[in-house]
Amino acid sequence: MDTLGFLTLISVLIAALTLLRLYAVLPSTQTAKPSGLREDSDVCSLAVFLGSGGHTSEALRLLSALNFNRYGPRTYIISEGDTLSMHKAMDLECAKSTEASQTTPFTSGPDAPCSFVVIPRARRVHQSFLTAPFSAALSLAASIWHLTASPLFFGPPAPDVLLLNGPGTCFVLCIAAYLSRFLGLKSPKLIYVESFARVRHLSLSGKLLRPLVDRFIVQWPDLLQDGKRGECRGWLV
Amino acid sequence: MPESFDPSPASISDGSSTSTASDRGHVFVTVGSTRFDALVQKVLSEPVLDVLRAKGYRTLDVQCGNSDFDASQLSRNGEDRWQRAGDVETSVWRFKPTLKEEYERADLIISHAGSGTIIDVLRLGKPLIVVPNETLMDNHQAELSDALAALGHLMSSSVAGLSKAIETLNTSALVPFPQFDGSRFRELLDEEMGFIHSRDNSSSGR
Repeated sequence: MDTLGFLTLISVLIAALTLLRLYAVLPSTQTAKPSGLREDSDVCSLAVFLGSGGHTSEALRLLSALNFNRYGPRTYIISEGDTLSMHKAMDLECAKSTEASQTTPFTSGPDAPCSFVVIPRARRVHQSFLTAPFSAALSLAASIWHLTASPLFFGPPAPDVLLLNGPGTCFVLCIAAYLSRFLGLKSPKLIYVESFARVRHLSLSGKLLRPLVDRFIVQWPDLLQDGKRGECRGWLV
Repeated sequence: MPESFDPSPASISDGSSTSTASDRGHVFVTVGSTRFDALVQKVLSEPVLDVLRAKGYRTLDVQCGNSDFDASQLSRNGEDRWQRAGDVETSVWRFKPTLKEEYERADLIISHAGSGTIIDVLRLGKPLIVVPNETLMDNHQAELSDALAALGHLMSSSVAGLSKAIETLNTSALVPFPQFDGSRFRELLDEEMGFIHSRDNSSSGR
């Protein structure tokens, strides 16, 4: 066998194994069953991507429904320059800690109940398609750092669950979570909630993430008429 | 009160116990952080003002955001603020940090189709006419206002049809919008993360 043939064989083998591994980590087409029971007293670390504007409002409204003693610590992932989302998240943290008559949530260190992570935008509004691949790559690198590399080498561990509701940048976070799965590392459960504004047509991020996330949730039943995966439990925000 | 007077604005005021006769008939128009020239221009036009007057509305506030409009009929009152006296006393301004007080003060709200605005206004129980911006490329926002209009929570209108919409709006026929129910998402996440024996779930009625 010549060298070229050998290399081809190796490449085909690697490609086949990669595809097999990818297939193994993809969620099943059936609605995922809860894996691993937790006790009432257990805690579950949570990360949420705040996609600015209406995305941030909806994500924080979803979070406001949760028991913060159970879901913590919380990591808010925001896009570069999106201070408005950061302030809204701080408002929610303050309101929740007042509700539970706890001390201030804004302590630092490993025991902090909440923290913020900033990643570059995958694509800015009106950005040229020429430079878009570079910002997407930068955004992906930052996502991999926060979800895969940093938990592996420096701790704290990756969050137990990652809540996504668009827009574009949440796709790169999903890819980073998949890299962890591919490598057999801890990856967050991925939960996507389509915007309340989407009645008959999924958003682009919805279409992209639908086959990848562990739970795909919409707020209007017509979006599931195509019979593909997803669930609707009515209006969540 | 003339025979032809439609009782709807009055019934709104009567419906909210805090309103008195003096603050009855206030309209608030909002375009949010967007630019919506056609809507701002339309609500300042004579046909719309005539209908508002006929329906008993006496004051009009327009949050115009980044919109461009013809201010020649208005007098300037400081930076980014315009006014006009008359049967329908009009005030136009660009932004405020929060619009919640404006919503609470209004007896009728006319807004762009942003989902945040729609939810906030409907949860305050205010009559709402939504005007989707037809010039937006990705006009999925009209889907939401149409769906909520079909359920009777609000009225959806084109810019051109706004006078007619205000005229035909029957505020007492609008269906109240449900308040926020956090239990749905809480149960969903608790279930997914394995907290299925949680006491939080015991009240669920699926």
